[in-house]
Amino acid sequence: MRLRVRFSKIGKIRFIGHRDVARVIERAVRKVGLPVAYSQGFSPRMKLSFGLALPTGYESEAEFVDLPLVSGAVLDGNAAGPVIACRSGTHAPCENMAPSSAPSYCTIAEALSEALVVGMEVSAVTLTDGRGPSLQAAVHSCGWDFDIVGLDATAAAKAVAEFLAAGTVVTERVHKGETVSSNIRPSVEVLQVVGCSDRGAVLSAELSATPRVVRPSELVPALAPAHEMGIARRTHQWTSGAAGRAEPAVPAMCAQRNKEPISG
Amino acid sequence: MTTLWPRLEPLLPRVSKPARYIGCEDGMQQPTVGSHLTSWLLAYPDTYEIGLPNQGLQILYELLNERPDASAERTYAPWIDLEAEMRAVGLPLFSVDTHRAAGEFDVIAFNLSAELVYTNVLNCIDLAGLDVRAARRNDDDPLIGAGGHCAYNPEPLADFVDFFVIGDGEEVVSEITEAVGAWKRTGKRPGTRATILRDLSGIEGVYVPAMYDVAYDGPALAAVTPKHPDVPALVAKRTVADLAEWPYPRRQLVPVTEVVHDRLSVEVFRGCTRGCRFCQAGMITRPVRERPAAQVREMVRAGLERSGYDEVSLMSLSTADYSGIAELVRDTVAGGNITAGASDTDGASNTATADANRISVSLPSMRVDAFTVDVAAQVSRARRTGLTFAPEAGSWRLRQIINKLITEEDLYGAVRSAYSQGWHRMKLYFLTGLPSEMDPDTEAIAHLADACTRIGQEYTKRASVTVSLGGFVPKPHTPFQWFGQNPPAELARKVRLVRSALGRNRRVQLKWHDPAASTAEGIASRGDRRVGAVIEYVWRKGGTFQEWSERFDLGLWEEAMAACGLSLDWYVHRHRGEHEVLPWDHIGAGLHRDFLWHDWQDALAGHGLPDCRWTPCYDCGACTEYGIEHMVASPVAPNGGSQGTGQDLATGHLVPVELRPRQMAGAGAPSGDGA
Repeated sequence: MRLRVRFSKIGKIRFIGHRDVARVIERAVRKVGLPVAYSQGFSPRMKLSFGLALPTGYESEAEFVDLPLVSGAVLDGNAAGPVIACRSGTHAPCENMAPSSAPSYCTIAEALSEALVVGMEVSAVTLTDGRGPSLQAAVHSCGWDFDIVGLDATAAAKAVAEFLAAGTVVTERVHKGETVSSNIRPSVEVLQVVGCSDRGAVLSAELSATPRVVRPSELVPALAPAHEMGIARRTHQWTSGAAGRAEPAVPAMCAQRNKEPISG
Repeated sequence: MTTLWPRLEPLLPRVSKPARYIGCEDGMQQPTVGSHLTSWLLAYPDTYEIGLPNQGLQILYELLNERPDASAERTYAPWIDLEAEMRAVGLPLFSVDTHRAAGEFDVIAFNLSAELVYTNVLNCIDLAGLDVRAARRNDDDPLIGAGGHCAYNPEPLADFVDFFVIGDGEEVVSEITEAVGAWKRTGKRPGTRATILRDLSGIEGVYVPAMYDVAYDGPALAAVTPKHPDVPALVAKRTVADLAEWPYPRRQLVPVTEVVHDRLSVEVFRGCTRGCRFCQAGMITRPVRERPAAQVREMVRAGLERSGYDEVSLMSLSTADYSGIAELVRDTVAGGNITAGASDTDGASNTATADANRISVSLPSMRVDAFTVDVAAQVSRARRTGLTFAPEAGSWRLRQIINKLITEEDLYGAVRSAYSQGWHRMKLYFLTGLPSEMDPDTEAIAHLADACTRIGQEYTKRASVTVSLGGFVPKPHTPFQWFGQNPPAELARKVRLVRSALGRNRRVQLKWHDPAASTAEGIASRGDRRVGAVIEYVWRKGGTFQEWSERFDLGLWEEAMAACGLSLDWYVHRHRGEHEVLPWDHIGAGLHRDFLWHDWQDALAGHGLPDCRWTPCYDCGACTEYGIEHMVASPVAPNGGSQGTGQDLATGHLVPVELRPRQMAGAGAPSGDGA
């Protein structure tokens, strides 16, 4: 069995890298005393597997990590659902799964949020049998909000319309020390102007992970060459579910805290 | 008092490792800001990842923030990419806690752990928007302070720093806070900066360079004398007598990005009396003050639970000398299981996670004569941490001269312990350019390393050894302070000697410290006040981050020495005479100068000196001058044997040491026997 955890990365903490996030999560798991499985061998490491890596400096409300549990960690609980045996006691993953007889239960979602650093919050924890594909393999596209510094909404709307009308949009980027150009248009499934922050127009996009992962920052030179991107925030990671697209874990399954809109 | 974050944030996507500048650590204090508080900015003049783990800075950070009349924040040297961005937009140096401007603090206090960071100190003062020269700063500018081991020779930075703290900082920061607070309440009126500096010079352990005249006699230093009768002629170091009263840090900072020592650290004792003659730390931090074992255990337990770390470093200058070290390591490694089992109602999950929950223990500064199979086995039960042994010199003859009395058998025993417990590589640390070192001594390094890999091959095909070779830089307040440092060409020749003696031995990997960097370190290590101009020259030419090999440039230092009319040979490579006035003679580390001189003469004669913790006192001055004593839990050396002193230590109970009671009431409780 494994726990699938959805967490955010908002504010100053956006500047830590992917490996840093992994270390922060590891320490939080140990603080909570979650019985997460370790690798074997001379240097046992906690078995964490993440969704698509978030570029350093980006914010997110939709980060995911799978935590495989040691055998025997999941107990039956009662009719309301299973509970996990942690160092500090047995906890339900999140509120709607907790036994109704114990409403004051500290959930794993709450315990992890408490153990994480400011700017990282757990918004959903689900228990799965762990048989499906890995998060990396399952995620096919991501939703993003991002703003463009100094660009007003009207100009942004015009640029978006031109972008969407184009059959190909070739941009250049530096990859392993070399400048490569590629057509990013096929990766852009949705692109629209949704508002304005104190920096400039806020755009919303859905970018597919195939043929390659395109970042919001790659769109900006094509939309507004004279402008820089402000802050980008991942809002969703989409997988294919039985009934169309779905997210690995949905915040509605847990009480939400500290939701703040993207703005300066 | 506004945060600079909105101005800093847009710069961060453009620089490497932006997480260096965000703070956000678990354990970060939320300092209150107010005009009634004396505000300290604790500065580490190197990158965040090197500076963050510094325990001294973290201890003061907590102590100051606990005071109702003080607040403390931290800053680290911004890397050159951010520095360029900051200078381009006029953004000053900032704290990582609340991102306030450095210039808004009352005190900016630098930690001086190494001499090559001195140019970074100047750069940080400049980035704070202040004049680097203390004499040219305004009355209401922040006071610039400095402490740490390098402060024992403050002269090279005397023109830039307002006050130095000599010795342990735990108590003296409170006295400084009160003095600065009183000055602040008077409004820091024009003309009063000299008054606060004079007040500070009256605090025991505080050295204010502006209160002293320096006289020269040609190239030689003639005297450093106080300008006023109330200013002490000798500034004696501060020493906290009982570590049990200082269970800090209580909330060690847990960084959100990778740093050099990313683990829990618990200081198990301070001071070392092994008497290694090259070692400044061992000389200036005497006497030995052990933390009670019960308090160590509680700090480890609470620290791991709070931080989520699975590795703890038991810190000291020679951790294997800690009384009861084997039991402490055993209990610490088992700690994960103990905490996991303590409150859990479900036995099954415990068993499943038991191995993974083991706590790794790292023991820095492990003496080879104390690394027994028992200790090795305890350490190896968790993840095997890197293992470094420091024989320091290749031959027994030279080890007698430096008073590191480790026999080859001691080393081979330790190496065998390690290989037999599953390690297949280890690091051996040596110094070269030591007094009286001859080519056979240098070549013996290769022979020792080769013999170690042969032992390893009895246990594993993969057995290998890394030899790390450092150029010896003589340090103030040590018996070797009179020794002329080897020139870089000679150090380089000795490195080649080891390399050719190793031949095609592929099991030994040789790494060495740049001999040119040792030379620059030598300028600052034993420099006098005139060297300040050299440091300023190197800094003005862009010579920051000189600790970083890609940034280091000896040519710049040579150019600076020439421009200032100073001789590299005179400052670095020359032997000093018995009666020469040394630039740090007015700074007291507790050691009698004649003790150091006699120990230097004994060294040249090849005479060893025992460890006074377990054998009678030879009156170096560290205890007798201060009316304090060693504080250890056992009068007998741990692990028995000669303990590298070349003596029979079985009669340790005859030694007059202050003994700790075996049972401590609890962590944090002041010990009753401390006075």
